[in-house]
Amino acid sequence: MTGARRLAPGAALLAAGAVLAAALALVPVVGGPAWERPVGTIGVLAVLLYAAGVAMPWAGALPLALGLLAVEYLVSLQVRRAPLDAGAPTYAAVLFLCAELAWLGLEARRGGRPWPGRILAVAGLALAGAALGAVLLLLTSAVPLGGGPPMTALGVAATIAVAACLAWLGRRRE
Amino acid sequence: MTGAWVTTVSNRLPAYLALGGAGLLAGLVLGRPEPVVLAAPLLLAAAAGLALAGPPDLEVRVRLDRERALEGEEVELEVTIRARRRVAWLDLEIALPPGLAEVRRAGDGAAALRAGTTRTVRRRLACRRWGGRLVGQLTLRARDQLGFFSYREQVRHPLPLRVYPRAEAVRRLLPPAETQAFAGNEVSRRKGDGIEFADIRPFVAGDRVRRINWRASARRGELQVNEMRPERNSDVVVFLDTFTDLADPTGTSLEMTVRAAAALVDGYLRRRDRVGLVGFGGTLRWLRPAMGERQLYRLIDALIDTQVVLSYAWKGLEVIPRRTLPPESLVVAFTPLLDERSLGALLDLRGRGYDLTVIELSPLAFVRPGRRETERLAYRLWAMERDALRGRFLSLGVPVVTWRRGEPLDGVLAVASRFRRGARRVRA
Repeated sequence: MTGARRLAPGAALLAAGAVLAAALALVPVVGGPAWERPVGTIGVLAVLLYAAGVAMPWAGALPLALGLLAVEYLVSLQVRRAPLDAGAPTYAAVLFLCAELAWLGLEARRGGRPWPGRILAVAGLALAGAALGAVLLLLTSAVPLGGGPPMTALGVAATIAVAACLAWLGRRRE
Repeated sequence: MTGAWVTTVSNRLPAYLALGGAGLLAGLVLGRPEPVVLAAPLLLAAAAGLALAGPPDLEVRVRLDRERALEGEEVELEVTIRARRRVAWLDLEIALPPGLAEVRRAGDGAAALRAGTTRTVRRRLACRRWGGRLVGQLTLRARDQLGFFSYREQVRHPLPLRVYPRAEAVRRLLPPAETQAFAGNEVSRRKGDGIEFADIRPFVAGDRVRRINWRASARRGELQVNEMRPERNSDVVVFLDTFTDLADPTGTSLEMTVRAAAALVDGYLRRRDRVGLVGFGGTLRWLRPAMGERQLYRLIDALIDTQVVLSYAWKGLEVIPRRTLPPESLVVAFTPLLDERSLGALLDLRGRGYDLTVIELSPLAFVRPGRRETERLAYRLWAMERDALRGRFLSLGVPVVTWRRGEPLDGVLAVASRFRRGARRVRA
């Protein structure tokens, strides 16, 4: 057979997403002490779920995989009792890109090609998300917000708003 | 103008909202900002998606380059879409009725449309099978900028397209046994004014002098005049048995019937004959014999609407209007000789003295004998039954010629003509 075999549609996107997922799983445990290594099992589980989600394809596994990656990252911070992590906005942007690459890849496998406007929008959102995260971190570290009931109430209200959005979308689900 | 869009939401949006909500909750529980930072891009994307979402507002026009085509030809369907609001991704799918196929996509696939811009998509459609069709059912699919929402709408702009059958090649038609009163191309059996010599007879008072045959008169010693045969037209009725349609992967018996009928209709009308049509099946359809180009279009239009309709109702010749079957007309029947009702009608036609020719589209060509001995025996018995049926028609002086796929219709008509020359007309 001459010439290179053509990759399945979206394979490149899915492979890139899997590499990003593996990198996200490694970041919390690399360079840390040996007793932190067990936290990495959450990352391994997340990468396996991600791989299963894109290979089978099983879209329902992707939110779980992304959630587990975030859990691994947060558990490592808690275990180390680390101060504010300046790398969190970057981690968040890469997590978002990882999610988008998985969904773009799955759509490509169903015959949908990503259009340029969407790719630009995803890149822009990743950057904007990172910037927003950085602003949040700066606010938390620089501005002396005392927390307490008002801030907790604000957080609860935001969570309820998100839950309301979910309930509304539940009716119009794909 | 479009409006009734069906909206579906991608699984991504609820997933982002769920993960974002969990991040906010985790931030509250842990008392750390990092969960909220992780949730920020996801919530931002979800918020942007919800804010930007909205069904497209499009104006769609559909046009066919022509309304009539021949089987095997291509027509062009042009779809013009004007966007009143920006659409990030728009795809067009054309639902084609059976018998039409898309040849190639001249326009691109999905594309974005800015507000106020127009996109024209041209698609070539191959007319694979004759028939009357309605073209112009489209499915428009659109997506928002972030791909969270999908919109689908079916647009119907029905445009009529009539695909005429490609007629079988016919060089010689079946000559009718009897002719009618009008001038035509068929030499009549009756004597009268014409150019074809018929006989010589003694001169009687009133005969024209120019008709005197001087040589014969000199030989016989009394005046002899030439008798001539006039050229007259004839009435032809094409009888289509539409009770049954036999199909195999290469086509159907009805397709063969319609192509052959189109060829005969065209041929007889060119000879200035009056041609009529009877579609005898689940639904009865007829056209009274007439001549001329208008009749040709009427007949072809009737032919392409021919279809098999299932019916158990018994019907005979009495349901056909009398003027559709003029006396002494030639009836050419295309039939698979399967349905008792059409067999009865054909025998009745012969009994009433019509000049009948049966062209049989043999069902044996569409059915294969089974592998088992009993199946092969049943097949042989069936074939023998059909031979007996053909024998019954032949004994009545009706030629029954089997036409198989791939054979030229000319050959079939030549066989029928040979039989008719030697056949004795018998009343059933």
